[in-house]
Amino acid sequence: MTVLASVSLATFLVAGLAATQFRSQPLPPSNRVAREQALRQSVNQLEDQNHALKARVQALQADVKAGEDETARRSSAAQEVKAQLDEQKAFAGLTALHGPGLTVLLHDGTDPNSPSDQSLGWTIHYQDLQDIVNVLWASGAEAIAVNGQRIVPTTAFHYAGVNILVNNASRLSPPYTVIALGDPSALANGVGNPDQMAELKSRNRIYGLGFSWLRSTRLSVPVYDATFLLKYAQPVG
Amino acid sequence: MRNRSGEVTARSQRLIVISLIALGLGFLIMVQLRSQAAVARTLATQDDTSVALLINDLNRANNLLLQQSTALAEQQAQLHQTLTSGGTDSQALSKELTTLREVNGAVAVHGPGLEIQIEGAVMDFELQDALNNLRNAGAEAISLNGYRIVGSTPVVSRGDVLMVAGHTVGTSLVLLVIGDAEQLGPAADLSASSLQTRVQVSIQRKSDLAITAVVTPRPLIYAQLGK
Repeated sequence: MTVLASVSLATFLVAGLAATQFRSQPLPPSNRVAREQALRQSVNQLEDQNHALKARVQALQADVKAGEDETARRSSAAQEVKAQLDEQKAFAGLTALHGPGLTVLLHDGTDPNSPSDQSLGWTIHYQDLQDIVNVLWASGAEAIAVNGQRIVPTTAFHYAGVNILVNNASRLSPPYTVIALGDPSALANGVGNPDQMAELKSRNRIYGLGFSWLRSTRLSVPVYDATFLLKYAQPVG
Repeated sequence: MRNRSGEVTARSQRLIVISLIALGLGFLIMVQLRSQAAVARTLATQDDTSVALLINDLNRANNLLLQQSTALAEQQAQLHQTLTSGGTDSQALSKELTTLREVNGAVAVHGPGLEIQIEGAVMDFELQDALNNLRNAGAEAISLNGYRIVGSTPVVSRGDVLMVAGHTVGTSLVLLVIGDAEQLGPAADLSASSLQTRVQVSIQRKSDLAITAVVTPRPLIYAQLGK
């Protein structure tokens, strides 16, 4: 009798769980599955195209630079212009740089899973990256890169749904590594200043969101993987 | 003896049955939890709207990269032709230098765009958001109250005082933005909609406006060329 009762109870529980399991399985209509697959396939194709175009741009830039170097070798006038050009390229992010600086590390915290807290304060938002970059510039940074993407004069962070995009639709995913070249002490003082990024620091305490920094004697930032094409702004005069 | 042996057998059977059931339950609970986590992750990170927006951004970026690639190929062909014919083309270098000086804010520029007037106190993050939105919409040159704003221009609040590149800018702001007004307009509207609850914002399209303020890039002291 006892065995029978145990088996009956257990069978009942198993059946209940099996039913819950069955009900929790998403049962999308086939067209929804096909649509999702098609959308993801499009993203993969477009990202492949994006990488190929960036590689093409970088290869062409190398060819142009070789032509410019040769031109400068042949003419002193061209050599003078080339020196100015190289300087402007360094400021614009078209040259890889290295030196001492600061590495800022960020990662998402823990979802409180609380109905009373729907703020998503536990995740890193693009505005957090924007704030950190701004504080680093204000603290004397000479060059900055975020997850290997060089911050250039035209850089803008934005959301495409849940994706953080930067520099010609490059997707940034956590954890985030921000590298800034400059005086490591000045950069660390800027980031550590309690008046700066107070909201991010508060979320670090509440949600365990990762926010730390490290001084280094040698860091490097990569070259911008595209170029600049102005269509509307014209020089005055 | 036989009764005791029967009891032991029955107890063993019960144990086996209960163990098997516990195993089955454990397996089902695990499957249940894992499938819930997988569904949540898919929905949380890549819903259809996010993917569709990503496709839109990728298309836009790829078009720009294609245009950049075409321009560079032309520049490369021109340089190659000049060098092959034994000449030098410092004009091609000068043209590229001018573009980079425009990008770096080192020369005065003019062109179509927007004039955005803001009456009232705004915080640093609000101005940063506005600048970020405008850059994302293709702004090619920006100035605020006569100060040129480039990518590395810091925007900070010291108490209620807004400072741009170390200059106090007050509570009456005039942003000049050069670029495609069709693209810049919605970006400016977006920033205005969040600001207009507290301050007055007016946006005017201009067929030609001039940004004469320039910035001198800070010399590189710590950063060295190369990887």
